[in-house]
Amino acid sequence: MNGKLGDGIENDIVQEGDIYVDTVINTTTKSDAQQKSALYRAVWRWHFYAGIIVAPFLIILAVTGSIYLFKPQIEQVLYQDLFEVMPQGEKIPASQQIEEVKKLYPDAVITKYRPGENATRSSEVSLTVNDQSLTVFIDPYTGKSIGKLKSDDRVMDKIEEFHGELMIGTIGDRIVELAACWTIVLMVTGIYLWIPRKKLIMSGVLYMRWNKGRSILARDLHVVPAFWITAGMLFLVMTGLPWSGFWGTQFQTIATNSGAGYPPSVWVGNAPVSTVTKEIAEVPWAAETLDVPVSEVQGFIPLSIDDVVQIANREGVHPSYTVFLPKEPTGVYTLSAFPPKAEDEITMHIDQFSGAVLTDYRFDHYGFIGQVVALGITLHKGTQFGLINQLASLLICLGIILVAVSGFYLWLKRKPKKSMGAPKSTSIKNMKLFLVVLIGLGILFPLVGLSLIVIILMDVLLIKRIPFLKRFLHV
Amino acid sequence: MKKVFLIAIIGLFLGGCSLKEDVAELYLQEQPLHAEVVLPEIIKSEEQVPINVILTQDGKKVEEVDSVEFEMWKHDDALHATIEQPEKCEEGIYGINKTFDRDGLYYIKIHASKDGAIIMPQVQVVVGELSKSELEFLQNDVPEKEEGHDHHH
Repeated sequence: MNGKLGDGIENDIVQEGDIYVDTVINTTTKSDAQQKSALYRAVWRWHFYAGIIVAPFLIILAVTGSIYLFKPQIEQVLYQDLFEVMPQGEKIPASQQIEEVKKLYPDAVITKYRPGENATRSSEVSLTVNDQSLTVFIDPYTGKSIGKLKSDDRVMDKIEEFHGELMIGTIGDRIVELAACWTIVLMVTGIYLWIPRKKLIMSGVLYMRWNKGRSILARDLHVVPAFWITAGMLFLVMTGLPWSGFWGTQFQTIATNSGAGYPPSVWVGNAPVSTVTKEIAEVPWAAETLDVPVSEVQGFIPLSIDDVVQIANREGVHPSYTVFLPKEPTGVYTLSAFPPKAEDEITMHIDQFSGAVLTDYRFDHYGFIGQVVALGITLHKGTQFGLINQLASLLICLGIILVAVSGFYLWLKRKPKKSMGAPKSTSIKNMKLFLVVLIGLGILFPLVGLSLIVIILMDVLLIKRIPFLKRFLHV
Repeated sequence: MKKVFLIAIIGLFLGGCSLKEDVAELYLQEQPLHAEVVLPEIIKSEEQVPINVILTQDGKKVEEVDSVEFEMWKHDDALHATIEQPEKCEEGIYGINKTFDRDGLYYIKIHASKDGAIIMPQVQVVVGELSKSELEFLQNDVPEKEEGHDHHH
């Protein structure tokens, strides 16, 4: 015992056992100290197991996140030939650009049109053909295709898929969400373990001890950076959770229902419908003669995409918008722009027959929670403040990797051959406060709650009954 | 303790899952104009026909529009579109009497605005007999049936 702070961990790393109890604090009564140390060990035990399970996911999230942060720069390099065009004269109407794509892909269904946010940006026509979706890049000045990109070939989309759902769909989404929620448990338990137990000495707490030997260095490499990045890590978890599939959807629904969230259809909820349906012109199908009554052929026909572009300009929609084309007679044209800064966001629905603006939802029209979430998302993605934002987020990601790896190393160092090397479990009586915190988190994050139930069941049904497991897990 | 916990979780799973139907009323709402076009079932060339539009907003007839215009052209002659100013027949109803010189496929685009709500619905009109090329045009112009659109983000 060298009288430094956070000794509990240190000692248990160096020597297994209950040294902490013996050396702790002579000023308190024995039973008090025992109870405190029991709580300490319980918290540590949770931190230990949660850390081992969550660390690999945290590393995956931090690595993929670090790459995805730089999506704008990476795509600019990867797709420069597809993105950039030489401005010359007037742009060709959107409808003609789409006609060109229809000529190239006669069987395709056009799904989206993106005009390009400035004079040197190509326009994009997205389509699905043979169950594959791809984007054709058009030079808006010549109206000719300058290349295509299959959605499956977009590297950054793969990274995003890895980051959000480990590339295995819904199950992956839930795993990521679970890992994110458990990261909060790790942070809460970690801070408890970090709080200096004795005098207020800052070495090994706020700054590193570089020359006190390898064990201390390893311990400090975990504890000190962890403290410094905790706020950032919590920020990334909390801003990432709203777009998770389970907790996020629930959260967004509750927020939208309260009037304080995103307006409907921006995140959850459906778009409004085009209202004219009875008076739509029908299409005769037989050749040579008009095989349907004239009155059926007379009626409203859908707006042309050129009108939609004109409406977008009239209403001052952010130039980076994409038009989603209607899929059915009741569908609408949806203009959607999610540019780098949250303040510029817009989701607008336009009646496909009348051209009426049915809803016009911009950042200013979001409820308070919606605005906070929107800002959180652009900060999480590193776009809100540009390069500074990206670098700050990168630093947090690198910190997360360091903390996960050093934590893992601390475990390997203390792990005996025949067991996990976990701190001994204590009676539930010693960890009432901690239990309340855990249950609280379990209610706030139902997936954590669900996993807690699974842990309790496994403990009661399996671990307590099998001597090998009991020994291995140090129950 | 465990039971309370379980009930709380099940409650969370079941509750709060769906969006209220009228949730849009909690956010900014537009007042879109709505147009209904009234045409005779059969229109012949060289015969005067009434073309009327009924404009409503929020389910009520619009008392006074800011502007309303009929833009008309023949299918194969979009360059020679004409713009006509309809007259107010009664509250919310505007119309013209129009004589089409030739048979064929026509379009009427109604531009109307009221308090910043602007619409431009376009109506397809058959006058007399359609030519072969017009029929072919109608048949080729099959509206796309689309699927598989993934939303933003």
